[in-house]
Amino acid sequence: MSEIKECELPGIGKKFTLELDSGDKLVVVIHSSGEREVFKFIHDNDEPTSVTKLTDEEARQIGAILAGTYFQPVIEEEQKLAMKNITMEWIKIEPDSMLANKNIEESNIRKLTGVSITTIIRGEHVIPNPRSHETIRPQDIIIIIGSNEQIKKFIAKFEIKQRLEE
Amino acid sequence: MIVNESVLSLGISLITLFFAGLLATKINQSLTAVFIVVGMILQNFFPVTIITEFLATLGVIFMLFMFGLEFSVGSFFHNQRRIFLVGAYDLIFNFPLGILIGWVLGYDLIGCLLLGGIVYVTSSVIVAKSIIDLERSANPETECILNILIFEDMFIATFLAFIVGIGHYGHIDAKGALFVILKTTGFFAFYIILSKTSKKLIDWIVDVEHTDLFVILILSIIVLSAGAAAKIGLSEAIGAFLAGLLLSETRQRQRISEAIKPFQQFSTAIFFVAFGMSVDYKHVIYLIPMGIFIFIISSFSKVMGGYFIGKRYLLSKKACLRLGFSLIPRGEFSIILAGAVAMNNNMPYSLKSLAGVYVLLSAILGSIIMKEYEWVIKWFVEKKDDEIKQIKENI
Repeated sequence: MSEIKECELPGIGKKFTLELDSGDKLVVVIHSSGEREVFKFIHDNDEPTSVTKLTDEEARQIGAILAGTYFQPVIEEEQKLAMKNITMEWIKIEPDSMLANKNIEESNIRKLTGVSITTIIRGEHVIPNPRSHETIRPQDIIIIIGSNEQIKKFIAKFEIKQRLEE
Repeated sequence: MIVNESVLSLGISLITLFFAGLLATKINQSLTAVFIVVGMILQNFFPVTIITEFLATLGVIFMLFMFGLEFSVGSFFHNQRRIFLVGAYDLIFNFPLGILIGWVLGYDLIGCLLLGGIVYVTSSVIVAKSIIDLERSANPETECILNILIFEDMFIATFLAFIVGIGHYGHIDAKGALFVILKTTGFFAFYIILSKTSKKLIDWIVDVEHTDLFVILILSIIVLSAGAAAKIGLSEAIGAFLAGLLLSETRQRQRISEAIKPFQQFSTAIFFVAFGMSVDYKHVIYLIPMGIFIFIISSFSKVMGGYFIGKRYLLSKKACLRLGFSLIPRGEFSIILAGAVAMNNNMPYSLKSLAGVYVLLSAILGSIIMKEYEWVIKWFVEKKDDEIKQIKENI
């Protein structure tokens, strides 16, 4: 695997240089605006022979194709199988909920039920991967993940009334 | 009814700017130059009012604030050795030249120093934009160019604080210079200490969710900081620049930039127009030969300096020349410097008008040279190669 050289372009963005086995160079510039440019330099030429401009979204798509995640049907099947036993659940916290106004650690959720909280949605605020000291407040929506059994246990244990449809 | 008339003339200025700017982008010219030309033409129709002047002042303040905000402190410290090295060469090649020209023209010491700065500082706005437009961001010389620009901006911001301080003091003597240097250093130190010690506090202060209040808070920080700098006899611009640096470390940086950008774009345009309006239209003709003269020798020294720096980084001859040619356009900072200190009028050449002519020439021709450098390089490199061939044959 060849080494990627990284360098700041103050005022423009960041430059990544990849020396290819063929002796050519591929340079990616990520602009602060999110635009990407891909340059190809043939051997020691110091002017690019080709330039491709990509928007943020296009770059991600191309990136997924190059990384092989965009088109790999085998892996997709595996993912489906894995998802069969795992459920995500959106749960609204009522003011009288056992979980309200306590932090995640105090409620001891994972130990008691095996369920993990992946996200807390608080109004327009989203807290991904909340830390254990994060307090759950009334009116929050929490997203939990676990096996079907674990989710059932969770609902029984914390007397959850309101489950939201996805 | 000065206000009513101002509003109408402002409207006329803006619509003229729009069409002129549209034309400029079509032919890939810098907006800076076009805005100044618009100002020069508009001065025939209405005078500079207090309101235009006020907006122009805000233009400088916002421009410097955005410089500070977008200044990459991280990469500055990360690359500081390189930046100082290339910056020092560029400074030695170009700053004394302007001072020398000023001395020959018969300016006083403050005038000479100002001309030194005007001739020295390359326009980072024009150059960075050209690099992107010409698809050169991945070229080997680009890193060097950007490092030079960072150094220049930092240097000129400090220099601006100093020279305005001197301007307020009245003249240059050892005592005055020391006093101003101490004041400038103290002001900078205050912000550096603030950013080092109160990062969390600043983060907390600017974390205001309400959009309107957020804008007002940021504006108040900028203007207060600029006002404080002006109060102690330094340039407002430097106060704004340091406020920008201070806020560039916060998590709200992107949001601040988005909120202030429209103010900056508007007022900076007015600043260039106001500058153009204050350039003495009738005398400009006489200044053109002098402007061309300064343009030629200062471009030559920039290209030489750039070539020299490129060689130190083992760039190819072509890349070295491209580096040099990319440093020719002058712009926003030269204009700010030209208007920074009120000069007495019995100078041989009005510094403001001379700077105007010079910036117009270098911004317009500089952008063209950056784009059409090929034939210059071809001529230069091939001629050199021929010479070498000849020398070899002779041996």
